[in-house]
Amino acid sequence: MSTTPTIILIKDTRLAGVDTTRDVQNVFEKCLKEAGIESHVQAVRAADMGVYERGVVVKLLPQNVFYGNVKDEDVSLIVNKTLKKGELVEHLALRNLPSQVRVVLRNCGVINPESMEEYIQEKGYEGLRKCLLHLTPAQVIDEMKKSGLRGRGGAGFPTWMKWNLARSSVAEQKYVICNGDEGDPGAYMDRSVLEGDPHSVIEGMIIAGYAIGASKGFFYIRAEYPLAVERIHLAIKQAYEGGFLGQNILGTKFSFDLDVRLGAGAFVCGEETALMASIEGKRGTPRPRPPFPTQAGLWEKPTIINNVETLANVPVIFQRGGDWFSAIGTEKSKGTKVFAITGKVKNSGLVEIPMGITMREIVYGIGGGAADGKKVLAVQTGGPSGGVIPESHFDTPVSYEHLQELGSIMGSGGMIVMDEDDCMIDIVKFYLGFCVEESCGKCAPCRIGGYQMLKLLEKISEGNGTDQDVASIKRIAKAMQKASLCALGQTAPNPVLSTLRYFEDEYKQHIGDKKCRAGKCGKLLQYRIMPDKCKKCRLCQLKCPSNAVVGDKEKGYEVVQAKCVKCGVCYEVCKFEAVERI
Amino acid sequence: MNKSAKEGRGHPADDGRGVIKVGMSSCGIAAGAGEVFEALTKEAKGRGLNLEIKKCGCVGSCYAEPLVEVRLPCLPTVLYSRVNKEIALRILDEHIVNKRLLNDLIIDLPMKR
Ligand SMILES: Cc1cc2nc3c(=O)[nH]c(=O)nc-3n(C[C@H](O)[C@H](O)[C@H](O)COP(=O)(O)O)c2cc1C
Repeated sequence: MSTTPTIILIKDTRLAGVDTTRDVQNVFEKCLKEAGIESHVQAVRAADMGVYERGVVVKLLPQNVFYGNVKDEDVSLIVNKTLKKGELVEHLALRNLPSQVRVVLRNCGVINPESMEEYIQEKGYEGLRKCLLHLTPAQVIDEMKKSGLRGRGGAGFPTWMKWNLARSSVAEQKYVICNGDEGDPGAYMDRSVLEGDPHSVIEGMIIAGYAIGASKGFFYIRAEYPLAVERIHLAIKQAYEGGFLGQNILGTKFSFDLDVRLGAGAFVCGEETALMASIEGKRGTPRPRPPFPTQAGLWEKPTIINNVETLANVPVIFQRGGDWFSAIGTEKSKGTKVFAITGKVKNSGLVEIPMGITMREIVYGIGGGAADGKKVLAVQTGGPSGGVIPESHFDTPVSYEHLQELGSIMGSGGMIVMDEDDCMIDIVKFYLGFCVEESCGKCAPCRIGGYQMLKLLEKISEGNGTDQDVASIKRIAKAMQKASLCALGQTAPNPVLSTLRYFEDEYKQHIGDKKCRAGKCGKLLQYRIMPDKCKKCRLCQLKCPSNAVVGDKEKGYEVVQAKCVKCGVCYEVCKFEAVERI
Repeated sequence: MNKSAKEGRGHPADDGRGVIKVGMSSCGIAAGAGEVFEALTKEAKGRGLNLEIKKCGCVGSCYAEPLVEVRLPCLPTVLYSRVNKEIALRILDEHIVNKRLLNDLIIDLPMKR
């Protein structure tokens, strides 16, 4: 038996039924006493073990042994075999659990982000040292190619290729930009990395600068991220003091300076050409490409612009090698991806998974399934540029290609879980409304198309839609995809199109039956007073703002539909559940 | 390489002191990590405990913030979830002083680094 005391973590992971965690704990305590090792081993009830629907789960620390479906009678077996003899109880062992893999988030929650020493202790700046002292810029790009890393900012463009294009552009001055604008609703992976491990992004930028021959870099961070900005400023200062930034880095001929620019909160400023205009002090609107930034970017100089998460991957690639990195993931999607999983899911937060695991593993295995034991209907990925993935497609691997095949995109990594209480049309109205609000107005397809499409959706959600409206939506969508200036307009129709693809029935219900399954589209609801349940207390009549409840204590009350404004007050105030919403 | 770096858990207590880490990114702070950090610092001092109490970033389990990791030389490292001021004091009294872990608060997620 090891000398470090053991902890036995216990948790009943069934989602339904009586929680038996406490009972199993009691059995363990009794058993430990009988074995005479109670002073050395503690049995503790855990809050969450990241495993669900595996009965009673038990984990031994520091042995790191994981058992599932543990019954009372198994306890003595675990105590006598594993604890006393160090042997595994084979039939209880849990293997191949969906597990997070921490590459980008390797230091998040581990080190103090305000301490460069702690970053260095975790091999920080080793990758940079290797690049500057042992590799030529061309070799750096080769290693990036080997890694297979693709941009995490949305489009998935191969990072090495972007760097190589910028490297081949001849110019006295070149720039590196880190895109920390992160404006997708529900996404906050980049904020977490900037706040939790700022030096890894800085190191990635310096390596990028060396690879393309740039001497200057800019962080572009949205001003709504004050803590991220503060920590990046501090980390830059430390990196200068540590000799990782400034003149003749690590005694080489390479020099690199870093500065921070704040975004004022316009979503479109995350688009690379708009972002550069914003840094130049101009109005943040996109411009047509080509020329691409790698040819003529910031102040017309060759520029690479990479996402925060992309850059945070770079130091690890050089610490551990491109081959190590490319061993994670699928054939065309290498490495890991961080997702911000929110919505109707039990465990909302950040998850980092190897590319290629299934949506089901993410939503149920790691996310713990729906929040209140409801049924998960779909997941929305890629934010306002993405689409929905219905439950029936949850066994698809998560990678750039597979998500695209399903009509969604990886996007920056927002993942919103929807359950039976969510209405697809309502969700789509939210995303499209966001794009309409954030459209910069420069090009007509996005400015006008988005607005018109939103009006049509509103019409449908109010029960006035026709089949013709759906056809118009599809036509506008095509025009926006083809003719918009930037990806904001080009991808804004995606949520509509993907819900039309998978949830056409819901559109039909709204149009034909004038019904909203989820009860989200207020104008389609009807409130009715059920005479058999009504106690004639008159509360609904008193509270109704539009005098739509008529009747008296004798005859009872009813809702006059023509007058009803669907506010739902009657439904909420009734103490006898006599008002039904249909 | 030192042992705890190998475990991938950051700065070890070289001198054998216990370490408490509080997740202090936006999500943690929004959930009250600032108050927890303050309470731990103040009360550890008040109790004369020789501990290193420090900040770290977000491990990702935002639903369970504030998160507090406790690392003692004599016990496996654990992560407490949904910590408030009161729980923070219990961590000091029960875990740090008496070496007894708290029930119903530990989270332990499968994770490879
Ligand atoms: C409307 C719009 C918003 C965008 N917002 C972001 C963003 O917040 N962060 C980001 O990294 N990329 C964003 N992009 C993508 C960038 O234009 C660019 O492709 C990306 O920063 C490239 O980095 P990567 O190659 O590392 O992925 C946005 C694009 C569009 C069209």
